[in-house]
Amino acid sequence: MNGERRLSGTVLIVGAIVASLVLVGVYLAAGGSSYEPEKVQNPCQPREWSDPQNLGQIANQFTISALDGAACQLGVSRETLARALATPEARERFEERYEIDDEKLAKAIRAGLVRAVDDAEEAGALSPLIAVPLREAVQQIPLEQAIEIINNAQGFLGDVDSFLGPADDIIEELLPGGLGGLALP
Amino acid sequence: MPQSPRPRVAALALAVGLVLADSSIVVLALPEIYRELDTSVSGVTWVLVSFNLVIALAAVPAALLARRVGPGRSAAVGLAVFAGAGLACGLADELSTLIVARCVQALGGALAVTAALELLPATVGSERRAAAVWASAGATGAALGPALGGFLTELVSWQSVFLLQVPVALVAAVPILAVARHEMATGIIEQEVRQTGRPHLWANLALAMVSAAIAAALFLLVLLLIEGWRLSPIEAALVVSVMPLAAVLSSKLADLVPDARSRAAAGAILVSGGLAALAFLPKATIALTVPPQILVGIGLALVLSALTETALGGRSPQAIHGGWTISSRHAGVVIGLLVLTPIFTADIEEQRHDAINAGTAVILDSSVNPLLKLDLAEKVSERLDDERGKVPTIGPAFEPKPADPAERAEVEQLQGELQDQLDRGATHAFSTSFILAALLGLIALFPIALSRRVDL
Repeated sequence: MNGERRLSGTVLIVGAIVASLVLVGVYLAAGGSSYEPEKVQNPCQPREWSDPQNLGQIANQFTISALDGAACQLGVSRETLARALATPEARERFEERYEIDDEKLAKAIRAGLVRAVDDAEEAGALSPLIAVPLREAVQQIPLEQAIEIINNAQGFLGDVDSFLGPADDIIEELLPGGLGGLALP
Repeated sequence: MPQSPRPRVAALALAVGLVLADSSIVVLALPEIYRELDTSVSGVTWVLVSFNLVIALAAVPAALLARRVGPGRSAAVGLAVFAGAGLACGLADELSTLIVARCVQALGGALAVTAALELLPATVGSERRAAAVWASAGATGAALGPALGGFLTELVSWQSVFLLQVPVALVAAVPILAVARHEMATGIIEQEVRQTGRPHLWANLALAMVSAAIAAALFLLVLLLIEGWRLSPIEAALVVSVMPLAAVLSSKLADLVPDARSRAAAGAILVSGGLAALAFLPKATIALTVPPQILVGIGLALVLSALTETALGGRSPQAIHGGWTISSRHAGVVIGLLVLTPIFTADIEEQRHDAINAGTAVILDSSVNPLLKLDLAEKVSERLDDERGKVPTIGPAFEPKPADPAERAEVEQLQGELQDQLDRGATHAFSTSFILAALLGLIALFPIALSRRVDL
């Protein structure tokens, strides 16, 4: 009688262990240990430009490079900075949280724009003749304009001639058509 | 005794079921209270913690009081206090008022439950039968609790969860009043019962650990479903009903194994196994919560009955030793909630941040038209501002959808990917807490192992 009781108790305990291990094992095998948000990339690491086919794609990657560069300078993620630049209120909260003033933010965004120009040039999406004056120009622009470029890179790149102003004539001479400065395929 | 025992047995069972099922009923209302009273997760946890803490502290003194002033009077007063405080809970418009009312409600509940334990053996004729009535009342309450709490919260309001307790407590008090009157008329107050045995330290300790794990399972799962996966209270109630349903359906399993220690050990292992599986959910899908809940349900049916049986076995008076088991169980709930709340609150914030970053990366890296992308990023940002500190609902940020079919498909895919990142974050936020809850269940194995060798 006692032997039966002990056996029954043992069977119950072994059954409980097996059932628990099987269920946990199945869930782990199905990816339970890695079911979490994907980690975002370090903005200081280079991000490869895929083959840009049109102005929209170039603008996309230009924006991402600019955000990466600025975020790297500020020590935040590209994603955090992108959300911070979406609205003036978000920017205000961001500056308060990370104790960043307008001057520091402007410096970082200008650095980001320089990196975007570098990356675009390296990827063959921007002619060196445009890249050089553009690099110089973005280092002088005020904060609001720098943010506007990030938020509307397509508009900016589509009208880069007027942005460069006095350099426009030179560009026209070298690259008739303005937008031709973008080395589109 | 002044009347037929049947209504009294029903009344006592109702009182026990009402008080012991309180936590499982109220837990479904917590997310709504959290939103409506504009508090924090830690703050709303005190609606449960305060109740359980006061019952844990008051159960044994309440049992002693019931023996001194008479269990009939004690139960009647306890139910009246429980009802009055329930009314105050339902009318509370501030968290502090609600918590104070919950403390008073717990005092009434402690009086009613321990007095019921004293009255039941005399009413049903034997201590064994009394224990069976007590256990089935608690199990039925626990089984109906989540569904009832969810339906009331969604169809009426969170206040109705407390207000409904008022008439139920008063109905339960009516037959008990006759016992109270009889006690007053006859002057019979304390029965001379030979004191046998001190409280069973190891069984009560194991009960506390297992209760901590079980409370955490229910509380965490409800929060995951409602706050993380955005289910409605009714949907969440139906989902978490699997746990008590499995417990009720498997209660006969306990009869097949007479050895209480083996049942307790197997139960604790199953509870821990189910909780560990909940920590490693491979997807945010309701169906995947069912198998772990079944393990937890079977586990709690085995372990609670075995440990209660061990704690009460051969000990008198039942009310005092029952008071110790009630105290242990509720202390365990408090430990579970207090240990795990700060951990999962911090994890929710961290995972929310990671999920939002991952979602933003999805938008930035997508091939959607840059202007549309910026518009989406801005709308998602606004959603995050609107729902600060919570897992955001991002659907409205994607409305209205573009008319162009290709662009529309891209946006819908983007929405799906963003939602996936949020689901991942919401689910992963609970992983550490579920693992710790599983460990609490496993820790119970130590006192269970010692329960035979060192029988105090």
